[in-house]
Amino acid sequence: MFLLMLRQSFFRGRRRKLLATSTIILAASLITALMTISIDVGDKMSREMKSYGANLNLVPKSENLPLEIGGVDYNPLKGEVFLEEQDLGKMKEIFWHNNIAGYAPFLKVPAKLEGKGGAAVPIIGTYFSRLVKFAGNEEFRTGVREINPFWRVKGNWPDDSKTDEVLAGATLARKLGLKVGDRLTVRYALAPTQPEAVTVAGILSTGGAEESALVAPLALAQRIYGHTGKVQSVSVSALTVPEDRLSRKARHGADALDSLEYDRWYCTAYVSSIAHQLEEAIPSAAARPIWQVAASEGTVVNKIQLLMVVVTIAAFIASGLGISSLMVTTIMERSREIGLMKALGAADWEVYLLFLSESALVGLIGGLIGCGAGALLAQLIGLSIFGATVSFHLIVIPVNVVISILIALAGSLVPSRLITRLFPAEVLHGRK
Amino acid sequence: MLKIVLETVGLTKRFGNVTPLDGIDMQVREGEWVAIMGPSGSGKTTMLNILSCLDTLSEGQYILDGIDTSKVSEKERVVVRREKIGLVFQQFHLVPYLTALENVMLAQYYHGMIDRDDAIEVLNRVGLSHRYDHLPSQLSGGEQQRVCIARALINQPAIILADEPTGNLDEANEQIILDFFKELHAEGRTIVLVTHNPELAEFADRTVRLHHGKVVQHAA
Repeated sequence: MFLLMLRQSFFRGRRRKLLATSTIILAASLITALMTISIDVGDKMSREMKSYGANLNLVPKSENLPLEIGGVDYNPLKGEVFLEEQDLGKMKEIFWHNNIAGYAPFLKVPAKLEGKGGAAVPIIGTYFSRLVKFAGNEEFRTGVREINPFWRVKGNWPDDSKTDEVLAGATLARKLGLKVGDRLTVRYALAPTQPEAVTVAGILSTGGAEESALVAPLALAQRIYGHTGKVQSVSVSALTVPEDRLSRKARHGADALDSLEYDRWYCTAYVSSIAHQLEEAIPSAAARPIWQVAASEGTVVNKIQLLMVVVTIAAFIASGLGISSLMVTTIMERSREIGLMKALGAADWEVYLLFLSESALVGLIGGLIGCGAGALLAQLIGLSIFGATVSFHLIVIPVNVVISILIALAGSLVPSRLITRLFPAEVLHGRK
Repeated sequence: MLKIVLETVGLTKRFGNVTPLDGIDMQVREGEWVAIMGPSGSGKTTMLNILSCLDTLSEGQYILDGIDTSKVSEKERVVVRREKIGLVFQQFHLVPYLTALENVMLAQYYHGMIDRDDAIEVLNRVGLSHRYDHLPSQLSGGEQQRVCIARALINQPAIILADEPTGNLDEANEQIILDFFKELHAEGRTIVLVTHNPELAEFADRTVRLHHGKVVQHAA
């Protein structure tokens, strides 16, 4: 009987129900959209931040000894110890291997030019955009073009497989009057070795130290240096989640965490846990997170999420108030019916149940439609802000439906107290 | 001697300085048909509201089927209402989105037990066998009042309280309803009917006349 009444009464006062449902749909779609973006904003921001360059530096462990005084590095081993190039593939074998978006090895060689007054020219060897193979013959394209999208080249990028093409840093090119297509002969500056003839394929602008150097394919730098298969450092671009309390605690070392915290930290893509896993994969390397990038990412994401929470609460309150006023009208209009139910012996809670169930139903329908509308809205927002679609997490549906039902119930709760104050004698035939 | 179903002792109702009912003493025995009459403002409706446990009294006692309703809580009064009383309204007061049958079953639902066959039988009795799937808006005034009577009868109440049951009906329907009340009376039902229609009161066993909140006449 209750379900029958609910079904029959639900389709009464359609205009009001439609208004109430629309209110919920508006709120639910807004909440769905914000929730979807909120969940995805970490990933999206992380990808956005990747355009600012690498967020991890891998160096040989012995070089990691801090010996910096007044900003000058006095470490006698600097540049003299190496990582094995062949070990780098192991980075794609760690727990968070999918989050390693790219890496670029570096080998800095002191060199000088033949001719041009024998000018000293550092050569930086790296991958430009190279297809590397790792476990199970999987392929992965990586290099400075992948991790430093802000590097600009006038001319052409050298081919990694050729060892006679280089990029000339913009400052160096200006100083020596180099231009695209120039042929140069370079040799190792500290010992007499075979000179190498190279062609300037392009002029490189980075805003960094590379502008004063020749940037060459790694193999060429290794040959000039006489250290085949060696690299000095690796810049790694990893997709990470924003820093939080746990990851900040882990900065004091993994020992600062208890076993549960450790598990959670290890299985979360914090920059610090990825650094830890890289060190596990390549024991001779020390991974240094670039904290400015990681921290600013966390701050921005936290602020966006906070803003979304505030907007969500505002939507919640606004639609709750809308429902509330509609409920007052409904109760007033249906006061005779309520009076009759009470006169027939319905307890207050039985009348409450009918009205709150109707509200819950409005919440359920509004919530479901709102989820669909919100998913679309999230895509629109994603496309206009991040230029990419936002991935929709299914968990948003139940959470949002529950929130919608709660909005409808919360909005109805206060007005439904009117039911208690409604005396059947007054509404059925007047008290006097 | 038949048992007393309804008894009021010094029943008084006050709203601030106004006293619509002032020390009413009244008894209704099982199977009796009592009409309460009086001009507008005499306290008839207030009296009916208190007798049907829709309102509370300010002083005195109201005992219904052995229960002193002046001493029970609001929750218990709800129980008394659904267990002991069948209400017939002048305005019918049917739930507009439920059919005639569902309206009758609603009273069963609040009473605690739904029996569709019983509800159909009562509707057959009031001559609505062909109309029980109709909504109130599809029924005439007389038919709506018959549904209202069927709803009042369905739980076998100790007493039927009717408020101007023919007040909104034309002559033909008034006669039909009157015949029902006669039939119910003949069956031994206890009926208290509030009216200012002397023709309706004429068929009652007794008439209680109210004036300014007091009983001015008990007439057989």
